[in-house]
Amino acid sequence: MNLFKKIDWLKIEKFIGSLKFAVIVISLFTIGMIIGTFLESYFGTDFANRAVYKTTAFMFVQFGILLSIIFAAILRLPPKKRLYGFYTIHSGLLIIGMGSLITYVAGVDGQITLAPNEPNRQVILSKDIIKITYPTEGKQIVSYLPYSAFESSINETYDNITVKNYIPFAEGRFVWSDSINKYSDENPVHSSKYHFKNAFAEQDLILSLHPEAGSDFQSSTTMGPLTFTYYPYKLAKCFAQNNPSKIIIWNSETAECFTPEEKNIPVKITGANNRFVVLPYNKTFITFFPDYSPFPMNTKLQTDEKSIIRAFSKKLFEDKPNLFLFGKKAAWFDKGLSKWVVSDLEVGGNPAKLPWMNAEISLTDHQDHLVPFNIPIPTIPIQKNGNLIKGDIRAVQLEILGKEYWVTNYSPLSLLVRGKKIIIEVTKESLTLPFELALTQFKMDKDPGTNNPASYESFVKLFSDGKTTNHHVFMNNPMKKSGFTFYQASYSQDNQGQYNTTLAVNVDQGRTWKYLGSLMLVFGAIWHYNLNSKTKDQDKNKKTGKLA
Amino acid sequence: MKKIILFILLILTSSVTMAESYFCKKELEVLPTLQGGRVKPLYVHAAEAMKSLTGKISVNDLGPVEAFCLISLNGMGLPTEIKLEARIDHVDLMKFLNLSKDQHSILYEELIAKEDAIKNEARSIKDNASYKKAIGKLYDNLFLYKEIKSGENWLFPTVKNGALEWLPLVAFLTEEKVIAQKQLTPMDPFLPILLNTKTVYDQFSGSEKYELELYYAKAGLASWALTLTILALATMVLFKNFNIALGLASISALVQLILIALRVIISGRAPITNMYETVLFSGFGSLTLALVLGHLKKEKLFVYMGLGYNVCTLMMLNFANGMLTATISPLVPVLRDNFWLSTHVTTVILSYGALALSWILANTVLFKRKWGKITKKEELNFADIIYTTLKWGTTMLAGGVILGGVWADYSWGRFWGWDPKETWSLIVLCTYMAILHGRYTTWIKTDRFITITAGAFMSVMMAWFGVNYILATGLHSYGFSEGGAIFLGSFFLMQIIVLIITSVKSDNINDQGIDQQA
Repeated sequence: MNLFKKIDWLKIEKFIGSLKFAVIVISLFTIGMIIGTFLESYFGTDFANRAVYKTTAFMFVQFGILLSIIFAAILRLPPKKRLYGFYTIHSGLLIIGMGSLITYVAGVDGQITLAPNEPNRQVILSKDIIKITYPTEGKQIVSYLPYSAFESSINETYDNITVKNYIPFAEGRFVWSDSINKYSDENPVHSSKYHFKNAFAEQDLILSLHPEAGSDFQSSTTMGPLTFTYYPYKLAKCFAQNNPSKIIIWNSETAECFTPEEKNIPVKITGANNRFVVLPYNKTFITFFPDYSPFPMNTKLQTDEKSIIRAFSKKLFEDKPNLFLFGKKAAWFDKGLSKWVVSDLEVGGNPAKLPWMNAEISLTDHQDHLVPFNIPIPTIPIQKNGNLIKGDIRAVQLEILGKEYWVTNYSPLSLLVRGKKIIIEVTKESLTLPFELALTQFKMDKDPGTNNPASYESFVKLFSDGKTTNHHVFMNNPMKKSGFTFYQASYSQDNQGQYNTTLAVNVDQGRTWKYLGSLMLVFGAIWHYNLNSKTKDQDKNKKTGKLA
Repeated sequence: MKKIILFILLILTSSVTMAESYFCKKELEVLPTLQGGRVKPLYVHAAEAMKSLTGKISVNDLGPVEAFCLISLNGMGLPTEIKLEARIDHVDLMKFLNLSKDQHSILYEELIAKEDAIKNEARSIKDNASYKKAIGKLYDNLFLYKEIKSGENWLFPTVKNGALEWLPLVAFLTEEKVIAQKQLTPMDPFLPILLNTKTVYDQFSGSEKYELELYYAKAGLASWALTLTILALATMVLFKNFNIALGLASISALVQLILIALRVIISGRAPITNMYETVLFSGFGSLTLALVLGHLKKEKLFVYMGLGYNVCTLMMLNFANGMLTATISPLVPVLRDNFWLSTHVTTVILSYGALALSWILANTVLFKRKWGKITKKEELNFADIIYTTLKWGTTMLAGGVILGGVWADYSWGRFWGWDPKETWSLIVLCTYMAILHGRYTTWIKTDRFITITAGAFMSVMMAWFGVNYILATGLHSYGFSEGGAIFLGSFFLMQIIVLIITSVKSDNINDQGIDQQA
């Protein structure tokens, strides 16, 4: 209490309302913004927001400006006619500040992506979360991750799961890691690292059959016109047999294979000249049309895609450049020799010469059981043309029953903990709309005779209370519904070439205040600077300015 | 196709009167053609293409249309004598093309032979941004040259099933058309066919508005305005004849107004959508503002400030072609709103113009203080005039920033998003607000106020040019073009040098100003 009394409040009031304080906070604010724009330019919008604009320190500076505005006005009371413009400016600024605070606390600023004719009501917001789902119990735990630019330590425990660290910007560093689950030797789970080279390009590629390998490591990939397909090593011996039918029958679980010729199974031809093979299997028969589908067909000519027994017709892969890799072996069709060639590859050994564009491939690493993994390493992101080209991985390090795991925005984790299935995801906070939206059409007009977009337009169906309404959203023409406003933000194209649209979703309760404050600011400025006939340091006898 | 070409070739070469220029005549200038998403007169397109390819509008003694037409004839299988040379200035590019130190050009025909090598080189450069840009531009030009040479670049309007179609020369000039026309004009069947496309287009579109661009392109209004402004400034400063200077300044402002109005009519939108137009508008705006303020405040000095800045902007428009292109292009989707474009952008650009007036006078005072003579009283008067322009500039800027926020809220759903362009406009506003506060409460003394104002304009340049040329990211970067970073760097360097040199204490301020005045 004494201390409270001892403080010279008048002095503090005078200091905060003083010009010195105003210039200090405005300068700090300006310096912050300058740093922010440069960070944004090199490291991206998200990084700049996390490192500068949305940090507590920067908010504090803005709060300082508000204090300065309030106290500067208070110090100049009671009202003087000369300062009416000044009061209006300062009140306007305060009202803008208040409006912004309302938006910050209660507003919604997110995005919704709509695919053609697929209703959606999930709006993706900006906050990062970790979501732990127990599907059998129908339970879900959601926890916010810190909004920081750099790695931060969390150490929070939910059941048996400890969330240790969060890296908002990470890049992957390749390592071989132990697998979470055990796999019998019968199941092929091997992975290989190859080095591909031709006159124009050189690239490392890692292909894997391991079920725990993330989306970065798949069993097939393409490079220009060339397709790489990674198969279990046991299959190589069947590729090596230049059997006349060029058909291989194989078991997708054990990778055991044989050719129809080996088992004296005839390859027959239908009346319409289609090849088929009938195979005795489990006391019944299964029929393959290998030139059409690797899966067996039933009597209604439907394919059974669950079948583990499959047929492979090498004939289909002879026209275009196709390279089949089996770990330490590679196979391709040599048009010159008019036959399939299988070549051995040793780790660190000589490359195999391929028949396309002087290309060659060598094996640089091979693992039978380990999982290829990109371990997240904190990094400073790099933005180019509006997209992050480095550091776009958000990763959380977890500890579950003494073992360490990583979950990223690209690879969720799915595992059994003491018999309970758990799915852990790093994602963005989302909001469920009280109505549904679906895209009926996305239209992009181009300037005549060019490929430059002239407009982006989304035709949207809105389903609410059993009613369906049609809306047309385009640049400068948003759609409004139940306090939400939807703006045309961007678009994307999926694998089938279909256009998806992204709409910005916004709720802003502070809008009216911000507009009112803005009006007051502008009118106040005109009043103060341009309508006041007399300002402090105007000199009536000043017509002395002369040029050299 | 071959048959048609042979036929046309036969007629063309058999006609004696057409031996050299065939049908490539000046009359073609007015033909409508579709380029870059807009219909424009052939002259405008040909001039832009030749300028991009060779750095000059005319080729040898030929006008752009004649040159463009003759090169296009190659697509009809008609070899022409005309040879275009690409201008090469980048040192690394000269080395790559095996050019000697003095050799700054190379024939496009030679470049065609090196096309694959150029493509591979462009792809393999990783770090050298300026070289990558130079080779990229060369590659684009090579593509343009090949397109013109193949006859595919010259598009003609035709009406088919009630719809307008644009056909390239090779597809447009068919055997049937030539035979039919030969019946009517046996000596010259080609020119009438081509000229008829203008009638076809005019009738279909019901407008000949595009022709205006031909007169606009040929009038050279920017050069006239520059001449007038320089004359006005010289009359005022050297010959001290204010009335003549005022007259010349007013005519120059009028010429610039016509230039802006023509661009508005041609493009159908507010004249502030690329760097060329913002520079033009700010120069015109500040000169007009200076004339109005000078009249209202009865102060001749405003006219000097307006003319000074106007010379700078017109110089840029006339000579900084690498950075500012006069080409009128369609707008990016986000800007397609005439109301907001004409309120938000004009207010901001006009505020930059007003702040530029303070920059001109502040630097003038710095020079006078260092190398000329100036009294304390004069300096105070100058500071007052600077303060007036700052008040106008800052008020307009605040209005412009807020209008930008409202537009962003209206079209993107947020009032403020820390986009570099909007952030920098706020930085400029904060900088000038700090100066105004400091000056208003006399915390910043007169001599320091002038130095600070001269330096503060660097923030405007950063917001205006720097965001596009240096930061070049974010939603607003629609004005990016090359050469800007060098210009901006040089500007900053020069301004900082001036600030440093002039801040060294000078004896030229006479405290007994009043006595000296007397």
